[in-house]
Amino acid sequence: MNEIPAQLARTITRRQLFQNAGAGIGGMALASLFEQDGFASTSTSSGILGAGGLHFPPRAKNVIYVHMVGAPSHLDLFDYKPELQKRSGELCPDYMFKGKQLAFIREQPTLMGTPKGDQFAFKRCGKSGLAISNLLPNLQTVADEMCFIRTLHTDQFNHAPAQMFLLTGFQQFGRPSIGAWTSYGLGSENRNLPNFVVLVTGQVLGAGNSAWGSGFLPTIHQGIEFRSQGDPVLFLSNPKGINPSDRKKVVNSVNRLNNLSLAEVGDPEIETRIKQYEMAYRMQTSVPELMDIKDEPKEIHEMYGTEPGKTSFANNCLLARRLVERGVRFVQLFDQGWDHHSSLSTNLPRKASQVDRPLAALVKDLKMRGLLDETLIVWSAEFGRTPMAQGTNSGGEKTKAGRDHHKEAYTVWMAGGGVKPGHMHGITDEFGYGIVEDGVHVHDFNATLMRLLGIDHERLTFRYQGLRLRLTSVHGKVCEGVLA
Amino acid sequence: MKPAAAICLSLVCARLFVSLPTMAGDKIDFNQDIRPILSENCYHCHGQDAEGRKGDLRLDLEEEAKKSVDGHAAISPKSRDKSKAWELLLTKDMDERMPPPKSKRKLTAKEIELLGTWIDEGAQYAPHWAYIPPTRNAVVSGSKAIDQLVADRLKKEQLEALPEADPRTLLRRVSLDLSGLPPTPSEISAFLTDPSDQAYEKVVDRLLNSKRFGERWARPWLDAARYADSNGFQADQLRDSWAYRDWLIDALNANMPFDQFTIEQLAGDLLPNSSLSQKIATGFHRTVTCNVEAGVHPEENRYNQVVDRVNTTGTVWLGTTLACVQCHDHKYDPFSMKDYYGIFSFFNNTPLEVENPSGKGVSFNFYGPKMPLPVDDSVTKKKTQLASQIKELDKHRQNFTADKAGGRKAWEARMLASLKDPPEWHELKITKFTSAGDETFKILDDQSVLITGRVPGTAHYEITSETKLSGITAFKLEALTHDQLPGKGPGRGDDERSNFILSEFEVRASSPGSPNIQLIELISAQADFSQNSWDVKNAIDGNQKTGWAIAPQFHKPHWAIFRTAQPCGSKTSSTSLRFTLDQNYGRGRTLGRVRLLALVGDPNAVEIPEGITATLQTRPQKRNKKQQSDLEKFYIKTNPELQQLEAMLAQSKKQLAALPSPSTLVMVEMDKARETHVMKRGNYLSPAEKVSASTPKSLHPFKAGLPGNRLGFAKWLMDPANPLVARVTVNRWWAELFGHGLVSTIEDFGTQSTPPSHPKLLDWLAVEFMESGWDMKHTLKTIVLSDTYRRDSKVTPSLLKEDPANRFYARGPRFRMSAEMIRDNALTVSGLLSTKMHGPPIMPYQPTGIWRQVGRNEPKWIEEKDEDRFRRGVYVVWRRAAPYPSFVNFDAPDRSACLVKRPRTNTPLQALTLMNDPAYVEIALALAGRIIRERPNEDIAARIDHGFELVLGRQPTKQERSYLVEVFQERFQHLQSAPADAAQIVKNGGSYIKLPARIPAKEMAAWFYIASILLNLDETINKG
Repeated sequence: MNEIPAQLARTITRRQLFQNAGAGIGGMALASLFEQDGFASTSTSSGILGAGGLHFPPRAKNVIYVHMVGAPSHLDLFDYKPELQKRSGELCPDYMFKGKQLAFIREQPTLMGTPKGDQFAFKRCGKSGLAISNLLPNLQTVADEMCFIRTLHTDQFNHAPAQMFLLTGFQQFGRPSIGAWTSYGLGSENRNLPNFVVLVTGQVLGAGNSAWGSGFLPTIHQGIEFRSQGDPVLFLSNPKGINPSDRKKVVNSVNRLNNLSLAEVGDPEIETRIKQYEMAYRMQTSVPELMDIKDEPKEIHEMYGTEPGKTSFANNCLLARRLVERGVRFVQLFDQGWDHHSSLSTNLPRKASQVDRPLAALVKDLKMRGLLDETLIVWSAEFGRTPMAQGTNSGGEKTKAGRDHHKEAYTVWMAGGGVKPGHMHGITDEFGYGIVEDGVHVHDFNATLMRLLGIDHERLTFRYQGLRLRLTSVHGKVCEGVLA
Repeated sequence: MKPAAAICLSLVCARLFVSLPTMAGDKIDFNQDIRPILSENCYHCHGQDAEGRKGDLRLDLEEEAKKSVDGHAAISPKSRDKSKAWELLLTKDMDERMPPPKSKRKLTAKEIELLGTWIDEGAQYAPHWAYIPPTRNAVVSGSKAIDQLVADRLKKEQLEALPEADPRTLLRRVSLDLSGLPPTPSEISAFLTDPSDQAYEKVVDRLLNSKRFGERWARPWLDAARYADSNGFQADQLRDSWAYRDWLIDALNANMPFDQFTIEQLAGDLLPNSSLSQKIATGFHRTVTCNVEAGVHPEENRYNQVVDRVNTTGTVWLGTTLACVQCHDHKYDPFSMKDYYGIFSFFNNTPLEVENPSGKGVSFNFYGPKMPLPVDDSVTKKKTQLASQIKELDKHRQNFTADKAGGRKAWEARMLASLKDPPEWHELKITKFTSAGDETFKILDDQSVLITGRVPGTAHYEITSETKLSGITAFKLEALTHDQLPGKGPGRGDDERSNFILSEFEVRASSPGSPNIQLIELISAQADFSQNSWDVKNAIDGNQKTGWAIAPQFHKPHWAIFRTAQPCGSKTSSTSLRFTLDQNYGRGRTLGRVRLLALVGDPNAVEIPEGITATLQTRPQKRNKKQQSDLEKFYIKTNPELQQLEAMLAQSKKQLAALPSPSTLVMVEMDKARETHVMKRGNYLSPAEKVSASTPKSLHPFKAGLPGNRLGFAKWLMDPANPLVARVTVNRWWAELFGHGLVSTIEDFGTQSTPPSHPKLLDWLAVEFMESGWDMKHTLKTIVLSDTYRRDSKVTPSLLKEDPANRFYARGPRFRMSAEMIRDNALTVSGLLSTKMHGPPIMPYQPTGIWRQVGRNEPKWIEEKDEDRFRRGVYVVWRRAAPYPSFVNFDAPDRSACLVKRPRTNTPLQALTLMNDPAYVEIALALAGRIIRERPNEDIAARIDHGFELVLGRQPTKQERSYLVEVFQERFQHLQSAPADAAQIVKNGGSYIKLPARIPAKEMAAWFYIASILLNLDETINKG
């Protein structure tokens, strides 16, 4: 499979090269990318924890967090269950149905095994022998880098609340997202790009912008969506008839007058504003440069399956690498289309084939560049799917079989920064329905991700409404088993 | 126990290195110094939460803390060394040490010493300040009291107050604060030339009485009320509750007393003989988010909504964080879970707000009490008229169906004849296909269009065909399958359920060279198959929300036939036909392959089913019963008279649907109250003990005689004995004016809050507010008339050093305006602002692709093209999943949850917005035009002066003027050499910006640059 061409390794650019790219028009040294009135201490480039030091030695500096919106079937991709296969078609045991909250299933359903055929078969991969479905042939080649948690569980079984619960630690609106917490804690390494960048393929997820919102944290920590159509960052490009040199003129003039004002009024906020105008001007170059992947070598395009100018998950994976290369702290990818209530046997292969190659390429590419050690890749979803078949749609009509939402146990995986490679954590029961050993609650998972970044989830707090609030509410226990 | 020596040693250390903050002779104050330490470090386990309590010890209650157990008390007054708590604070035994290391809480040496001294001084407790009713404590009255109480503190801090701001600055400040808009040049000159001592007060009165006042002050309240125009969550559809927003603006303008204002919003529906307006006011609590995604559990949704109502009420009226008491007793404040569900009970009696419309499956709709709003008399009259017309036509139709005899024979003869000479369908050759998305398409040999590529949520196709046909009596739309479509089609969104929804089908005709385009009236629709409640008739009903769909008959072709009212097509020349196919449902339920045909001939004879043909050819006597009845049905279906009736009916219904019938969301109490239980861990599925409606015991009593419902609760909130509500409210207003509150934790007045910087001032304002009869305008007026408010806002180096955040108010307020105010200000100074009030939300310019969240009934952004484009920000539509992006860049919230304090950031995205957002480009052009228009014959410097006056309400300094003159000249010269750029810049305003005539593009464009620079200045977006 896509071996990394040797000549590529020689052309690798060092991330430092990018981090200070973009010439400042005023030549003024900047204290931070964003400044916030009255929050100056929280927005220094080193983050709230920077000054006092991190709680633990960090295992990862950056995160690429890939969220499969809609929730793929863990049973058909990562958690193979011979017993489920054997009893496929039987009515499910009562414990799976009676008294349970299910989103769509209303009558006692039958068990459903993974579809038959080689396409759906599982293979033990690499030295670690992790079992991965043939639907993900490329990921099978990087199994020895992956660390599975097969026993993640959540409290929510509807999409939008479950997305918010996973990503903000709370099922209702109003809390900061994990990316915002990370930015708040660790600060920024790049002065020309936002610290938390979001890339989306397909429709936006149900939780909307809240999935990457800053909640009660300063808004500078919210994710900034880089769009694949139109301006990558809203209002980045100049109006028609205005060229970069004209824009520079305007920025200089505004800043000149603001400087006069600063001398007269003395408000330090004016100084910050002056810096932001310079930054805005630099972003007009640095962001398009970042988004333009056409100069990537052919081998890279082949490895990812990228096509410049197209909107695709593959392009977003490559952009994610370019972003962490430039020191962007938290990159989050959302990919819609995994809610397979029906026709699992056709829908799942289609979606799997869209993400398999680019994800494997991302792991290999980061490794090749020496970035995998300091970058944590997270692959997740808001919940898993039932071992039981679902055969009707939301209107109650019969459909080809799929699976319903499942919160009791599902699989996510990580790779890179500080996780045990080629490792499997947790055991589910014979049907992949519930947990037998080493359950990991969403709060535990988030606590673990924080830990990998050197953060004690109990100590990264923000005072709001008289409370010291944090990502993990009053819960969360680091899952030591996955730490390398 | 550790040896005493170790304890002593650490004691010595503590005493050696710590100097206490209190001034000599001052005793330690429990509220100021001690409570924050205990609350932060101890109450978590030794506070009011019984469940989480450790060692059976409470430190929040004086007697419990001082109670002797086995000869030891945790706190032994006058002797730290005898106090168990002191011992455990210092012990080296980490298993014993308090707070336990694993709690990750640690006291500083200073805090430890404070506790020790406090114990030595007698360990006196005091109730939390916020729960003691406020009292007046100034010797003077009115604005002077504010100044006196501020001066006391300044003196203590040894700070000197700045003098009053210059009149122009002051006028701009107070105008922005009270009306949200800057002063006009004539208002400026009126103020500057008014010699009277009351000049400033007159301005204040004018602003308080302006209609703009309510619009400006609605904004912070709408944040608190988490008012938005959409549901939130998955599909985030729009819903109507703008009447509530209008109610709010009107109530603020009318200066409705705050107690009434509160009662109407929380319980207007329960007031005796409640008025329409009082019911609309209850929209306050119908603004909560609502999840209607498939598979949602309605009861869970309802429970979450009630939780939100309780929490929001707690924050807005009590400055109290009730959220944590949902799951456990409060760790810090005196509220138990039982208190929480006692309040919950008041709000627990409204109906479910999602419904399953079909009664099967798991698909849900937004639902819940809606109230129709009154409309104009003329509309009502028209409605009645149409309703009776519809009734009449319906009766006719029934009669007709009953009376089957008339004309039947003739019809049969005609049918039989047309079987011999059948009307003919003609394929329409496609000359042009366009679509609103970036789909790719191909025209196939059979003249069908195959649409592939990107699947947009919704679609709008336009198909043009030139034809020489005349006498066209119907059009046929074929929705065909193809191997390249998911599941073969005919829809594009899903290979399993390959449905499409055709929302509207329209045809327009024009003859070559003629500018007249005529909409062809379609009178009937018929299809081979229509999905339940998605009848093909919906495709021509003028309603974009309904449509034609084909589930569950997927994966096969379908057709629809639309008859024209009049034959169309010209005998003498060709006709250009333009078909529009709107497909608004979302989720890619769009057509994958379409073909169009036109019918020439008698449409009644068309599509005679085979069985009917056979029957017609059979003699009447020989027809069997089934044949007879089938023929009868077919007759009714194809009878022209009946068809006409149907058409008239459809027309009337369409007219009725088009008449405005606005509604708004309101609270309605159910006849039978729900039982409320404490929910274990806040889980709606784990009810524990039953509770009845009650208010927290730690607050003022619920007066006897108050009803045990929302109305009683609202009245309890506004009881003058409530120690919180007046303080919390005036503090929010103070923060709006000064940038931060007297209590900086605006959202929380509990024991974890920051103590007020000026407790006496806060209390004075609270009492003044209550005693004025809860008069908001009076309170605001009192504040803005004070010297404290009117001070110069210059940040002198010494003030920057001594009081960087201006906590002591030696200088006037200076901070960045809110998102809406920045836009309103820019619209005003450019002369674009429309002051039209009220009504449905507006959609000004927004970049494409912002509203992408799709699902059922996904709303569409339809950009305003008239004055609505330039109305105030308070009227801009608020969709929670994607609020207006330029507002978001200036820290506007998504309004999904109650927010009483917006952050204020300073970011590069803000610079990009003001420079590049096409909305601001339009505004800059308009400003450029205005400057020239109002100073037609003056030189550059005079025009720059005017620009300054408009944008900043002041004259430029000499330096500023000469610099901008220079910039103008440089730009002018540059544009002279770049005429294409100049022309383009002038064009960027589109048709919306009327520029002065006969100004060369290069001059206009150079002024655009000046205008844009002015709009981007820090001073422009600051209130100073």
